[in-house]
Amino acid sequence: MKTAGLLLTVLLAAGMAHAQVALDCHFAPGWEPSGPVRHFTAENLYDYKDGAADGYLSYGFARMSTIDCKSGPDSLTIDLSEMNDADAAYGLFTANRDPRLPIAPIGMGGQIQSQSASFAKGIYYVEIVEVADNTEADHTAVMQACVAALQQRLQGRETAPEALQWFPTENLDTVKLVPESVLGLKLLKRGYVAKYKQGQAFVVLEATPESAAEVFKKLREHFDGASPAQVGNEAFQAKAPYLDGICVFRKGRYLAGYANLPDAQQASAMAAKLAARIP
Amino acid sequence: MSSHPSRREFLSTGLSAGLALPVLGATSAMALEPQSAKPTAPVKLDYRTLGRTGLKVTTVGMGCMITSDPSVITRAADLGINYFDTARGYSHGNNERMVAAALAGRRKQVIISTKSHAGNKEELQQHLETSLRELNTDYIDIWYLHGKNSPDEIPDDMIAVQQLAKKQGKVRFIGVSTHSGQQQLLPWMAKKGVFDVVLTGYNFTMDASMDQAIEAAAKSGMGVVAMKVMAGGPRRLKPGDPNLKRLTQEGAMLAALKWVIKKPHIATTIPSITDMDQLDENLKAMSNPLSAGDEKLLTAHLDAISPLYCRMCGKCDGACQKGLPVADVLRFLTYADGYGQFALGRERFLELSAEHQTVRCGDCTVCTVNCPHGVQVSSRMARAQELFA
Repeated sequence: MKTAGLLLTVLLAAGMAHAQVALDCHFAPGWEPSGPVRHFTAENLYDYKDGAADGYLSYGFARMSTIDCKSGPDSLTIDLSEMNDADAAYGLFTANRDPRLPIAPIGMGGQIQSQSASFAKGIYYVEIVEVADNTEADHTAVMQACVAALQQRLQGRETAPEALQWFPTENLDTVKLVPESVLGLKLLKRGYVAKYKQGQAFVVLEATPESAAEVFKKLREHFDGASPAQVGNEAFQAKAPYLDGICVFRKGRYLAGYANLPDAQQASAMAAKLAARIP
Repeated sequence: MSSHPSRREFLSTGLSAGLALPVLGATSAMALEPQSAKPTAPVKLDYRTLGRTGLKVTTVGMGCMITSDPSVITRAADLGINYFDTARGYSHGNNERMVAAALAGRRKQVIISTKSHAGNKEELQQHLETSLRELNTDYIDIWYLHGKNSPDEIPDDMIAVQQLAKKQGKVRFIGVSTHSGQQQLLPWMAKKGVFDVVLTGYNFTMDASMDQAIEAAAKSGMGVVAMKVMAGGPRRLKPGDPNLKRLTQEGAMLAALKWVIKKPHIATTIPSITDMDQLDENLKAMSNPLSAGDEKLLTAHLDAISPLYCRMCGKCDGACQKGLPVADVLRFLTYADGYGQFALGRERFLELSAEHQTVRCGDCTVCTVNCPHGVQVSSRMARAQELFA
């Protein structure tokens, strides 16, 4: 009985944690809804996002609520997406953010511009878009107010995924979560990719060291002329079409490496730096 | 009830008709050099003319929306694919930037289409300038108004912006992309006479009325580009869904692509290509025509979805004790679940009487309606009520 009660409590807590957050437009004086809240699931997201729906689905989309708000001549749309997990929410943020602008400390990460804003917090990914006749108008203050109100209401993780800290920061351009086929290779299912001024690094998280070893073996077979390298538990380096100099290593359950460097030796040298940062 | 043939009949008819048609367009062969540089059979490229644009397009193009790495796009171009599709709204512009980077240095060899989801002419104009900048080009080959499902969504002032851009040389051809309402939209576009291309959802699950709409559009001179050719693919299904295994069965997606390519009025297709493996798989569609085995795979898929989707055959056994027009409601659900046309399904549902809209099938202990094809009537009705009411 006690166990059943505990189980019920856990289930209720889990249910509350995933309860859909009610959307409204009362983030600043004068703002009101201009229509009802609309809800979308994976089955009908296409009706709202057209082809862009594929992007949401690939990251692990659960559902979305959206509302149109207006204040006098101004209007905006808030999309609140609930993802399968916090990493997926952060991943979608990294896919949609402007890589030329810095990431602001909003939830796990966010960006506020003059007519749009986005951020990820916990399993939630939020996008706010101004619908304006005047495309030059600066509505940063409105965006900030809306983001502040939503951030306060949403519960969940506020730190970016740990793996992001592993990438060396020198000459780092951007980091994003690739939801499938890292480097364009189906074998590398899902992982983080860091783009540098030259080349790119990646970290793929496999479930176990054994499954990582299995994928590593297949990867090595994939690259003709691959030679062993001394990085992590096991590694190879190669020169390949489209990926240039590449080094792939396995460290525990992680598959990682560097690609698109001028030669395989440089890729191996950079991979060793990355391996040293992976726990 | 609809008098259209069932999807199974449509599939068979489509296959037979396709086999009887003359081969369209030129073909050429080139060696396929996979990323691993291991030797494989040559890939045959198949070309068709994109309506009045006169552009020669490969029948397999590339939807770049979820491409995981720019190298996949570069390799597709190296292998001869010449039609690449993106949109202003994909990943907030990051997708246009990826396409630009991947195709750098080969602008004249490729055809790039992008789309704008702008809600007014000012935003549309701004989107054009942004797309040109992000795609790092002086011109866009085909510029679509994005996701328009009825003529009401395409005001004249937005068409005027498209036409002006064409006159200025910023775009070569203009068009509209559409996910639903094609039966109304395509004839309107044909009659309007200003659009060069239409990008439309089209796949083997759709009924014959779609085929007729596309044929009429093509005969008016518009180039027809097909998307959603994989019928949504497995991505929309959750793990554990019984259809997932069938849909991910080897060759199933390729068969769906070949089915569309077989249609003579489709100039090219833009399946989403994520990685090198999918690229290699889709390229096969140009060299291996739709076969009896492919037909079997697609038929099996239709069988798999039978418990879920009404065939609109009009052969329902029994009548609802609460007077619900069961076949109609199931058809509305098919619009949403089968064709991805949620708005249309809900619109039709809301046209039911207020009394019928409030009925909940879950309240009945026994359903008095049976489907000869095995549609689970009660649960599907309940889903329609959950989705639309």
